[in-house]
Amino acid sequence: MTRKARLLVAVLCALVSAPAIAVVIMHIPAFGRHPLPYGDAINHTAGAQRHVTNMVSAVNFDYRAFDTLGEELMLVAAVTGTLVLLRGRRGESLSDRAAQAGNRPVCERSEAVTLACRFFLPLITTFGIYVILHAQLTPGGGFQGGAIVASGTLLLYLGESYRLWRRLVRSRLLDMLEAAGALVLVLCGLGPMARGGAFLQNVLQLGQTGALLSGGLILVENAGVALAVTAGFILLLLEFLEETRATCEGEGP
Amino acid sequence: MIAPATDVLAPLPVAVPLLVGTLLLLVGKVLPGRLPDALAILAALAVVTIDARLAAHTTGGPLVYWMGHWQPRGEVTLGIGLVINEAEAILAAFMALLFAATFIFAWGYFEDIRALFHVLMLIFLAAMQGFCLTHDLFNLFVWFEVMSVTAFALTAYRLEADPLEGALNFTVTNTIGSFLILGGIALAYSLAGLLDFGALARSLAQHADDPVAVGAFCMIAAGLLIKGAAIPFHFWLADAHAVAPSPVSVIFSGAMVPLALFGLGKIYWDVFETVPPVQLLMRTLVLGLGVTTAIVGGVACLRQRHLKRLLAFSTISHGGILLIGLALPGPVSLAGVLAYFIGHGLVKGALFMVAGVLLATAGGIDELWLRGRGRPVWPAGVAMAVAGSLLGGAPLGLMDSGSRLIGAAAGARGEDWILIAVVLGTACTGGAVLRGAGRIFLGLGEIAGEEARGPSEDESEKPARPLWLMMLPVIVLLIIAIGAGLPHADETMLGAAARFLAWDRIASIGPIGPATAAAVPAPSHPFVPWLTLGLAILIAAHELGHAWLPRSWSRTSRRVLSGPVFTAIDRAHDGVVGDYVVWILIGLALFSVSSAAALHAG
Amino acid sequence: MRGRGAVSFVPWATVAWLFAVGIYGVITSRHYVHLIGCLTVIQSATYIALLSVGYRFGSVAPIFYTRPPSTPAVDPVLQALVLTDIVVGATVTALLLALTLQVHKKRGTVNPERLRPMRQ
Repeated sequence: MTRKARLLVAVLCALVSAPAIAVVIMHIPAFGRHPLPYGDAINHTAGAQRHVTNMVSAVNFDYRAFDTLGEELMLVAAVTGTLVLLRGRRGESLSDRAAQAGNRPVCERSEAVTLACRFFLPLITTFGIYVILHAQLTPGGGFQGGAIVASGTLLLYLGESYRLWRRLVRSRLLDMLEAAGALVLVLCGLGPMARGGAFLQNVLQLGQTGALLSGGLILVENAGVALAVTAGFILLLLEFLEETRATCEGEGP
Repeated sequence: MIAPATDVLAPLPVAVPLLVGTLLLLVGKVLPGRLPDALAILAALAVVTIDARLAAHTTGGPLVYWMGHWQPRGEVTLGIGLVINEAEAILAAFMALLFAATFIFAWGYFEDIRALFHVLMLIFLAAMQGFCLTHDLFNLFVWFEVMSVTAFALTAYRLEADPLEGALNFTVTNTIGSFLILGGIALAYSLAGLLDFGALARSLAQHADDPVAVGAFCMIAAGLLIKGAAIPFHFWLADAHAVAPSPVSVIFSGAMVPLALFGLGKIYWDVFETVPPVQLLMRTLVLGLGVTTAIVGGVACLRQRHLKRLLAFSTISHGGILLIGLALPGPVSLAGVLAYFIGHGLVKGALFMVAGVLLATAGGIDELWLRGRGRPVWPAGVAMAVAGSLLGGAPLGLMDSGSRLIGAAAGARGEDWILIAVVLGTACTGGAVLRGAGRIFLGLGEIAGEEARGPSEDESEKPARPLWLMMLPVIVLLIIAIGAGLPHADETMLGAAARFLAWDRIASIGPIGPATAAAVPAPSHPFVPWLTLGLAILIAAHELGHAWLPRSWSRTSRRVLSGPVFTAIDRAHDGVVGDYVVWILIGLALFSVSSAAALHAG
Repeated sequence: MRGRGAVSFVPWATVAWLFAVGIYGVITSRHYVHLIGCLTVIQSATYIALLSVGYRFGSVAPIFYTRPPSTPAVDPVLQALVLTDIVVGATVTALLLALTLQVHKKRGTVNPERLRPMRQ
């Protein structure tokens, strides 16, 4: 089909479906005013049952931890998949030059950029670690904090050189950290079974509500997730940045 | 009552592959030689054993297992539950078996990435187990997504233009499917406030005429049908299965696509069956889609010369037959679905492995180019002929059990016309495979001048594996496909189906009553398998015997085959992702119109 | 409508609008990176759909660090679901971008209309 034909058919479909969609929207329970039994049950009991104050983390790492296990393994699969798709020798040598896009010149880094990056990198990393550690207390957790820390490392590339980025960011180590994080999560599931509990049952000491070490198994799962997410995202960045290098002879895909 | 010792097995089908997968990811690079392959095979076989044990122990009642030990609090289910019935355990065991066979077939195949292939496949296996056994709507979506992500990555392994483009089409269309499922989950949650199947079913029973419930079903069904390749959502499948490496295609066609369709059945029976407009939709729209898919898939199958694309269209056609079985109510058709699922998976898996053998030994996959070149690997030819006959309706084995049961269910409702679609689809796909076998291994069916136009790209797969290693899983799969259809298969499937329908919905939240299995129905038309097989052989013979037919006959048949309908079908499958998305929209419009009609009629 | 103000359909109309805009972009796209961006737009539609189901007027976020646990709060389950959804989106985007990169290297183009597998 040509673009015009596609658009025409799509508009026709939209017109045909519009009445049904309108009927559904009109019958959806009132926004902001309908009962939420599941949410209320968790809000009222999770604090007492698990000694945590962040209900979303309680749901993520305790009540619905099986979902988080799947989500974590999906991230591992995606990072592994990207590694498989971007396999190739490009960018693995420290001395690779940046590839040129068309006629655009490759600019020198300005000192302002380098200064700003050096200033912000420790701040962002600290903030990311703070978000990770306070998963069960305030908004945040392994996923969010891991993404922050991983994005922070990009400042290394922006402010310094590709050479330094590659020296500091070691793919072997990151591979192992990512796998270790996923393994921690799987063991959090199997571990309680060894003590007669259910899969992913929170069997550790719960600690005191509001303390940094509270929530029992939630802490361990959070740590595993943080490790895997940080390492996974940095690996993704690594793979994509490798592609920005110019190709040399005989380099494969 | 179920022995408490088996309770502990419930999360293991998911946990064991994940454990082995993450361990392989951690240490895979330093493991010597073929140790990752061996570990993967062991993990898959372990899952088969666990699932078989679970199946054996759930004949008396389903196993209900709450993750994290979160029992429901009154009416509110707090955690994620697994409800394992015999039917689900049998399917899960079969899928793990298919994975084990694939790992043997792929021994030494993925040299570039070594253990990473096994990591991805083990996560894929775990996701399929989770999808099959879960009893929570969002958990179903999570495992669906994990399956999709691993599939996307594995499709493009070969990193050439065609696989990459096929993978892109696959990813874009299936991602839109995921979004639709999420929208459906949002709608269902807004009505019910809970995510457990049992709790949802109870809540939706009170909203029996609410358009939102119907809307939720339509969106989730559309998303699952995209993955299950029903018309008009099926366009991505031919592209993806044709370019994926053969071991991966085995899993796609043998397990992933039928599992998505079974998932549709699961959410229908477990959640939405209490909503009358949805019942009507299943009996009419989904049945109609199944019939159309079976016929169009079969016809398109005949027109392919790329062997893997031919097999992909045959998967679409047989998926349509599965959909017919799911749309018909009652335990007899469900029993047919279970038997057909396993039988088709075994046979299709074996066929894709034969295609892989041809790619590795003869170095090509175009049927016309391969004419006569299969003679050195004649065991593969025997396997292909056997598989083609099974596919074409031969009256032995699990596939025949399945189609017989589905036919009996259709006959019992007076809807015998459905059998026409089943016969047509089966005969076309069986005929296409038999034609391929005859041409490749016997050198029949020469077409002057056609062989000069080869496939779009040179294809070959890694040749260094010994033939016996590649043929071993093929033979095992075919033996199980034929042998497991021995006397008690029908009763087992009927019993499993009856128990599933009686218990699966309410098992997580309420007590369960007795379940009686239906008696094995007498086949309504005992000549049907012979008719189908005869038709398949006729089709194959016609295509192969062009040289001996009178000139005028072959000219008319050629003119018919280049007629408007067939060329339209060919042109619709043009590979442009924008067109595929438009077809998805057409399908959604179809759902909207049908649900409006169903609501009006109810 | 069930005795509520007109505000009720605004989130859902937004969802429908975002979905439509995203699909329009996917259908008419001429550059795969643009198409991936449009998929992200459709994803935002699902976020809004899920979050608006869980909202409650006069409630706070479900974090009780400085508030007593009996304060009315919105549904934390849906927020956890959206978190999973975001991870799904990120992972699929990464895979799609990697595929696009490789296709560009092999074919020299990233125009969806020119990328047709199995040109028979």
